[in-house]
Amino acid sequence: MRLTSFLHSDNFSGWAFILPYLIAFVPLLLWPFIQGFWMSLHEWNLLAVTFNPGAKEFIGLGNYIRLMGGDDIGWSLQPMWPFRLVVSALVVTLYVRSIRRRAVGYSHHIMAGLTLFTTAVLLGLTGDWYDTRFWIVVRNTLVFVAWVVPVTTTIALLLAIALNREGRWAATLRSVFFFSQILSVTVVTLIWQLVYGVRNGFIANVLAPFGIDSPNWLTDDQLAMGAIVAATVWWSVGFALILFLAGLQQIPGERLEAATLDGAEGWRKIVQIIVPSIIRTVQFVMIMQIVLHFQVFGQSQLMTQGGPGDATNVWVRYIYQTAFRDSEVGYASAMATVLFAFMMIFSLIQFWVTKRQES
Amino acid sequence: MRLTNTLTASALALCVTTTGVQAETELELARFFGSCDDAGTDVSAAVGEACIIQTIINAYSADDNGVTIETLPTDWGNYYDQLKAMYAGNSAPDVHVIHKSSIAEFASLGALMPLQEDDLRAAGINPDDWVDRARDAVTYDGQMYAIPMDIHANLWHINLDILAEAGLVNDAGEPILPSSPEELMAHAKQVKDATGKDYLTADFAQFPIGVRMVLAMLWQQDSNVFSGDEATVNTPEAQRAVETIVGLFDAGYADPNLNYNDSQQAFLEGDAAIQINGTWMVDIYDSETRNDDSALASYYVADYPQLFDEAATWADSHTWALPVTLQSEPEKYEAALGFLAWLNDHNVDWARTGHLAVRQSVLDSAEYQNLAHRDEYSNTVNIARDNPPAVRYSAIQDVLNRELQSIWLQGKGIEEALADAEGEINRLL
Repeated sequence: MRLTSFLHSDNFSGWAFILPYLIAFVPLLLWPFIQGFWMSLHEWNLLAVTFNPGAKEFIGLGNYIRLMGGDDIGWSLQPMWPFRLVVSALVVTLYVRSIRRRAVGYSHHIMAGLTLFTTAVLLGLTGDWYDTRFWIVVRNTLVFVAWVVPVTTTIALLLAIALNREGRWAATLRSVFFFSQILSVTVVTLIWQLVYGVRNGFIANVLAPFGIDSPNWLTDDQLAMGAIVAATVWWSVGFALILFLAGLQQIPGERLEAATLDGAEGWRKIVQIIVPSIIRTVQFVMIMQIVLHFQVFGQSQLMTQGGPGDATNVWVRYIYQTAFRDSEVGYASAMATVLFAFMMIFSLIQFWVTKRQES
Repeated sequence: MRLTNTLTASALALCVTTTGVQAETELELARFFGSCDDAGTDVSAAVGEACIIQTIINAYSADDNGVTIETLPTDWGNYYDQLKAMYAGNSAPDVHVIHKSSIAEFASLGALMPLQEDDLRAAGINPDDWVDRARDAVTYDGQMYAIPMDIHANLWHINLDILAEAGLVNDAGEPILPSSPEELMAHAKQVKDATGKDYLTADFAQFPIGVRMVLAMLWQQDSNVFSGDEATVNTPEAQRAVETIVGLFDAGYADPNLNYNDSQQAFLEGDAAIQINGTWMVDIYDSETRNDDSALASYYVADYPQLFDEAATWADSHTWALPVTLQSEPEKYEAALGFLAWLNDHNVDWARTGHLAVRQSVLDSAEYQNLAHRDEYSNTVNIARDNPPAVRYSAIQDVLNRELQSIWLQGKGIEEALADAEGEINRLL
């Protein structure tokens, strides 16, 4: 009796639906994640533990302290003050505006609090950090994401608007722009190394007739990150483009027609009609990309090897080097766990944003 | 056609198994050196590291000795990461190449199989024939862990035409090379003024050739980057070494931005008089002199010049090791030893790349001594130097590479960079 009622309950169908996913999720994602966290609490040498399982040592949060701790920690207004000031002012303005409009919710408080805490407190911390390289790779990763995500989104959106029409040309171009998406990172970096080659690269050959020497795209301190960003944008614009095209199809034709009749043209039409109509797609694309590009690895590893110096070294590459070159898998796991926490925050933001819109 | 082939092959395989003929022992082999398309089995015709080693492997595999060898992917970049991951996943290759400088790390953790001299002799390898340096290369803590294949070192690869134009070739047709940092700058200026070309080129941007140059110049001043557990990077000697290189960049006599391929192209296209690179380039550059598309017509190889008090150049060794897991697989162990003996027998073929042979009998042979350009860098074997074994050697090299790059590519102060490197290396030791 009880069993039959369970079999007919929502609870049962719920479990039945997620079970196939759980079968893959638990052993392939959740379990390794727990193991990784467990490793991060140890001093754990990859090879030593393989040949002598007793060679690991439990050190609690030791790896996290080594990663993020430092001596003489203090706080100051000075570091990055223009950036901190502008962002803080922006957040406060937006927050006050939403309070005035009584449009403020649970997620607003948390997001505003989190951002202010970051800009006011976290970014003001000073000290002799134990692992200075970690902060360099975190900064590089943030810079990478801060460039790739808005540029990819903007280009993809503009392309989608331009290609959202019938006809053979538009269809062909849609395929062309999507094409790069199907390539693996190895192929993408190979193509772009041929483009950037200082002596026989594509750009060098284009510039040669004008008597201009090619800049050192991949070994110049000022250009290397930009070069990697450009390659990544080229690679990922296709995926965003497809999502935007799907979003644009949802906009009712009458709305656009009405806007045109009311005289909305060009930029005004894009900013005031099109973007608000597909704002959820825009948010989705951006958050997906943030989470994806935080994990950038191949471009840095294959195009610049993190150089010159550490100029293009990124978070996941540092994890990889620490784990495999230096065999310190415990410490590398701690870095990976922190990276996970970072991406979790962005996933939660996305969750809140969608939740809010649904309600 | 393909179907018939498959059917015949399966039928044959079936016959072999049913008639009880012993199956071939399969060995998995890991190496770097890059890939060689259609390598074949003709060792004598091969040119360059990748093709010479692959033909040696293929010839052994094709030989009627009951052993077949499967070569795993041959990339340089992540070789040691992959090797480590394979060891950690209990799927180590049955035989693999390893640098002398990496033996300490793998052997100290118990990954490599200790090799017994008696077993080697039984397989036809005579360790007494190895020069002392080679024997030391494969010995860690008094125990042998690999067999040596070469000693490789940094050389000066020279385009004689450019030096001649600058008046830096003597009557005997040999290059005139600097004997002090000041003379280095003077020669570089002479080349620039006479030809407009760079004096030297090397990969200062990615591959650690710059590190190896600085190391050589430290050893030439009787200094080193570490001694025992203490880093000694921030020293007047290191400053002098780095200043010597930076001087060339600042005056426009060399370009720090070129990576490995670009620097090679610069040399082959006649845009630089000298390339600093390893012994592995000798047969390739020699063959380029017969290539009409290459601007390299008269090629000369020189020992790394002595710029300070004593002569020294960076060196390492390629060696071959077996995983400790072969201890429980006697059949594979025997097959692998057989292959190591085959490699040892082909020492002179490997030396054709330009590398120095490790067997005294090969060094003394006419075949070796008649190899192209061999007499031009005969002193390299005497001045070859390297660091004492260190478990974290690859990480130490990476620190140096990063900090040196930050000096010449990012404008970081020499003293600051050396101090940072010293701090980081101290943490690694």
